Amino acid sequence: MAIRLSKIVLAAALLLGAALFFSSESRAGSCCGGGGASALVLPKFSQGLVDLSFDSEKYHGFWNQDGKYTPDAPGSDLGQYRLNIGIAKRIAPRWQASMSMPYIWNINKYSGLSSRTDGLGDTAINLWYETYDRPRSVMSVSDWEDLLPTITIGTSLTVPTGISAYDNVQSSFDVTGRGFYRVDANALVDKTIHPVTISLLLSYGMYLERPVDREYGKYVQPYNKKLGDRMLGTLALGYISYLESRKVLTYTVSFSALQEAEGQINGEHDPTTGFRKESVAGTIALSSVDSDWTYKISWSHAIKEDGWGRNFPTTDITTLGVSYGFR
Amino acid sequence: MASVKLLCMCALLLALCCCGSTREDLYPSGKDKRPTVQAGTIGPAVGQQAPDFTLPDIHGNPTTLSASAKLPTAKGVVIYFTMWCPTCDSEMSNMRDAVMPRFPNVIYYAVDYVSGSFDGARNSELDNGYAGSGFTTLVDTSQSVLNQYQATMSTTVVIDSAGVVRMNENYKDGAKLQEILGGLP
Repeated sequence: MAIRLSKIVLAAALLLGAALFFSSESRAGSCCGGGGASALVLPKFSQGLVDLSFDSEKYHGFWNQDGKYTPDAPGSDLGQYRLNIGIAKRIAPRWQASMSMPYIWNINKYSGLSSRTDGLGDTAINLWYETYDRPRSVMSVSDWEDLLPTITIGTSLTVPTGISAYDNVQSSFDVTGRGFYRVDANALVDKTIHPVTISLLLSYGMYLERPVDREYGKYVQPYNKKLGDRMLGTLALGYISYLESRKVLTYTVSFSALQEAEGQINGEHDPTTGFRKESVAGTIALSSVDSDWTYKISWSHAIKEDGWGRNFPTTDITTLGVSYGFR
Repeated sequence: MASVKLLCMCALLLALCCCGSTREDLYPSGKDKRPTVQAGTIGPAVGQQAPDFTLPDIHGNPTTLSASAKLPTAKGVVIYFTMWCPTCDSEMSNMRDAVMPRFPNVIYYAVDYVSGSFDGARNSELDNGYAGSGFTTLVDTSQSVLNQYQATMSTTVVIDSAGVVRMNENYKDGAKLQEILGGLP
């Protein structure tokens, strides 16, 4: 029974990780720069984690200012590829810290132009606090307390380690980061009643204002710029299954809504900025009770229809990942 | 042992993190570092004589900058470099809605440097809803004008009727563009 419960705990942790995995948003590739790093969350009894993943993000048009889906230029093949490395470490019984950094390749081909550039993306540093002493995954509900979810709260700092439009670059194709620090407040609510898990991630982020004196390598009249506040919500539903080989398979589907408010130029609202994106995703994760390795594959899809976003590229992201947990 | 490995990884990531952030001055002094230019020289910088060019529009008709700027009905020319992306769309639609009505006696060019053909540029213009919008789309198949003006996506150039560059920077909220256009003689 204890082993079975630990399997459930592990699976729940995987799902929780999967939910956060989709918080990785990108605004990259063809035009808009930046690949975001995802946040890692440790299972309750894990001491550390190393995570390696590879994202392939393909662009298939965008939603315009009015939310109308618009295809990319004919004959174009636009993509961003990210190799993400992340580590997480428990620093106290209820506290954990993590860091994720992507290395990004922008590979874009238009009918009349091709470009291939690469560089570090923006780095995410996260601090999480678990509001609970022990996991609340249950096999069945026999008491109202069995319905209590686990709540993890945290904060993230995005460090602009990527190449931004305000760096010494020549072209928008060179951009791998947004060039701004961002601080997020995060809350993760998670509940597993075997074999189903549901989790909700809520995040609110604020960018720090910064001065700008050059754009794409050209010096310009200095001004102050601030990107708009960002809200993210991800709802994930998972199903845990056990294989004959003592392996655990978790299937997760999720829905994410991301919104960034209008930015500011010298304190004045910039109506050309701000965006919204809604997407769905599916993840399959495989892990073994006897091993600390976890393998996962996921696919995130932006719906190429009017109204599912605004002022943002529509992309499909395929991810392959592997992680190793330290007990 | 595991903790030591993790700490090493942390140190490595932190080092990479620091290396990355040192490449860019994230908090410049605010001092205007634009190089001074000599009036009368030809180049893309503000104050220089705009490099002349001839580009075809989406129907293949050649358009020459110097001829456009000197039209008696035009106070100047705005050139916007587009790759038909969300940022491009939001800025072009802002220009169309907020700037063009205030400054109708200015010529607006959208330079498409990615489509590579008249047909491609025409399709992009249609797909993005800019056919008949007030922008004349020019097709820069060899990126020659893009390079002449040291431009990229979102670069907005203003040239007055004397052929002098008045602005060459990213489009932002439209305020700077309106200020420059308002100051044209």
